[in-house]
Amino acid sequence: MAVAATPNATLPQIKGVKDVPYDELFVSGHRTCQGCESALVMRHMIKAAGPRTIVLGSTGCMYVANTTYYTTPWVVPWMHTQLGAAGSAALGTSAGLKVLMRKGKLPNEKINVIAFCGDGGGADMGLGAISATLTHKEYNSLILLYDNESYANTDIQLSSMTPYGAITTFSPTGKAKRLMHTRWKKNVPGMLAAGHPESRYIAAACAGYAVDLMNKIRRALEVGGPTFIHTIDPCPKGWDYHPQYSQELGHLAVETGIWPLYEVFDNKLNLTGPTRQIAEGRKKRKPVVEYLKRQGRFAHFTDEDVDHFQGEVDKMWEKWLIPGVIPFTIAEKDRALLRVDTTPLHEVKKPA
Amino acid sequence: MATTEKTATVAVKPGEERLVSIEVVYRGIFQKTLAQRICRGVVLASRRRNYTGTAFARYGDSPERNGVPAKQFAVVAPTDLELEAGMAKYEPAVVDVSVAVDDTLVKGIESWAWYGRQPIWKPVRDNGFVLVTSNSTPDELVQQTDKAERPYTLAVVPGGASFAGLWVYKDDHTDYRVLGALARLLPDWLPIEDVKASIRESTKDEARVVSVQFGYDNVRTREVKKGEGTDAHEKLQFEKPGWTKMREGIIVEARKPGERNPFYKKYTARTLRPVVNFDTCIKCTMCWLDCPDECFEVTPSGHYEVVYEACIGCGICAQVCPVKDCIVMVDELKFTDNTDKFVLYDKQPDAYRQWFTEMTGLPAIGSDKPAATGGD
Repeated sequence: MAVAATPNATLPQIKGVKDVPYDELFVSGHRTCQGCESALVMRHMIKAAGPRTIVLGSTGCMYVANTTYYTTPWVVPWMHTQLGAAGSAALGTSAGLKVLMRKGKLPNEKINVIAFCGDGGGADMGLGAISATLTHKEYNSLILLYDNESYANTDIQLSSMTPYGAITTFSPTGKAKRLMHTRWKKNVPGMLAAGHPESRYIAAACAGYAVDLMNKIRRALEVGGPTFIHTIDPCPKGWDYHPQYSQELGHLAVETGIWPLYEVFDNKLNLTGPTRQIAEGRKKRKPVVEYLKRQGRFAHFTDEDVDHFQGEVDKMWEKWLIPGVIPFTIAEKDRALLRVDTTPLHEVKKPA
Repeated sequence: MATTEKTATVAVKPGEERLVSIEVVYRGIFQKTLAQRICRGVVLASRRRNYTGTAFARYGDSPERNGVPAKQFAVVAPTDLELEAGMAKYEPAVVDVSVAVDDTLVKGIESWAWYGRQPIWKPVRDNGFVLVTSNSTPDELVQQTDKAERPYTLAVVPGGASFAGLWVYKDDHTDYRVLGALARLLPDWLPIEDVKASIRESTKDEARVVSVQFGYDNVRTREVKKGEGTDAHEKLQFEKPGWTKMREGIIVEARKPGERNPFYKKYTARTLRPVVNFDTCIKCTMCWLDCPDECFEVTPSGHYEVVYEACIGCGICAQVCPVKDCIVMVDELKFTDNTDKFVLYDKQPDAYRQWFTEMTGLPAIGSDKPAATGGD
């Protein structure tokens, strides 16, 4: 298998599964779990980006499981960076390449820089560095946050991305207290999109929709400047389900409306995949219980807990200014003033 | 407390006051709690005779990954001093009993990179025991274990592999049946009365005591002589590079395009393997696209063949395949090798169809060209 490595080649959008590049740049023999969706994100990420890419990985499953004991599954250059340092590593590498090219020590060709981090390394520890990188508009880099909703590598500790009520080793269920974790998950892509107007591309994706994910990665790399993609990765280990259902759970996360797929491209929001169909009213949002009941981490949920979860998701779709992106709304009296129509999506009358 | 039970006697003969080590080989995460409960059960039962012991997991397995073979240990000694002397290891090099709580583990285990594929009997001492939970007979299991380098006894306690998740434990008494079987194999170290009393005291549940007795009564053994077993499995062994061979800054050579990681193959994580009905395959690419372990390769005819050396048996391909019974997950114990089966389909489709039916128990339908033999 020869890998085409044309300098300065553009990354066209992928039209369908038959158009997905065949070359593997992240090969088998990584010590991930059976059914690891994050490994699939790595595979899709580098498939979409192509061979002229440098990948930087902060500590987490995708570092520890993949590159243990003096071996690697990466065909492209890969470097480990510390927990929380994905943003800094992306910025530094991109700046370094730029200087080397300016000084003529490297040919002036396009080299993609992708830094990945888990939800612990990105949303907990590395948020500051990611935020800083997203303000440096002169350096091209993509930060990919693969979110399996816990510190899965060290055997499932709670992170700020763990959903409401889920069991982790830090939030076990018990007789005195059924739910140890009662905080709602942080809205990272929305927060970053709202806070970094000069980043030209920020997206939320899921590897269950592979072509959508790959196209988002390509768009992020093509548009230039600092960009960010957040994927939700079902984790058979921490979510406690049979590994064969990884794809199905990713689909359910999107179809229940818990994880909206969208991109903010040049400051314009674009809903993608089933999320778009839900917003357009072409598809009905599935009840969250279909998603929750499939996972051992929610096995202790009572009807009341499910109702609360459903209520929060409904609020996101019906009350938020933009579902899944902007969590506040605008006072009635200021609607005209700010020229914003806050009619909830489900109340918008469809033209006949 | 157990200290009231001073009447128990130490059955070890003078001069044989050594420690006993038991390892439990299991599927990471799926059987983590089960392995913990077995190791803990051994130590608690032996404490009834004022033996001292400890149960621990192997450091190198942490963090565990779903399906990847892992080990936990129970080490018991008559005195604290003996135990301390024996505990100065993080992984016992020699064990008296190796317990495999999933029968597909008898095909060998590869726990991490450079580990190689190790026979299930590797750490078992001369004339020690390999105890397997299985619905197969010892004779059937010997067909799948590596050729023995020294004699051991293969014991089987009836029951399928008990798999569960990290948070919800499947309490199907597998741990109690294994403890009962261990009592049968090591009567001097783990008398059945002690195991039963220990379980009765800690669980206050007679049904569990009955399961212990069931394991004790129903364990089947078979002597395995040196040289018995199979040669069919791949020899996967590595010379580890010394520090002089390593590059500065922990730099590792990247993989070449088209290559797979040769130092870690991961196929021993598999309990089921996908078998493809190439006749009904519609070449939709979904199995290839959604495989997290890059194990599908396209053939000139546009089919996707499984590279069994890379497949870890997660079952995603069978789940995402839109055609019913096109990809079927089959018990790993039915196979002796990792050879690519597409070659057979390509050369002798009818022989492949026969093989498919034999392995999956399903008719190889979809052959739109009528078979030469006619029939129905």
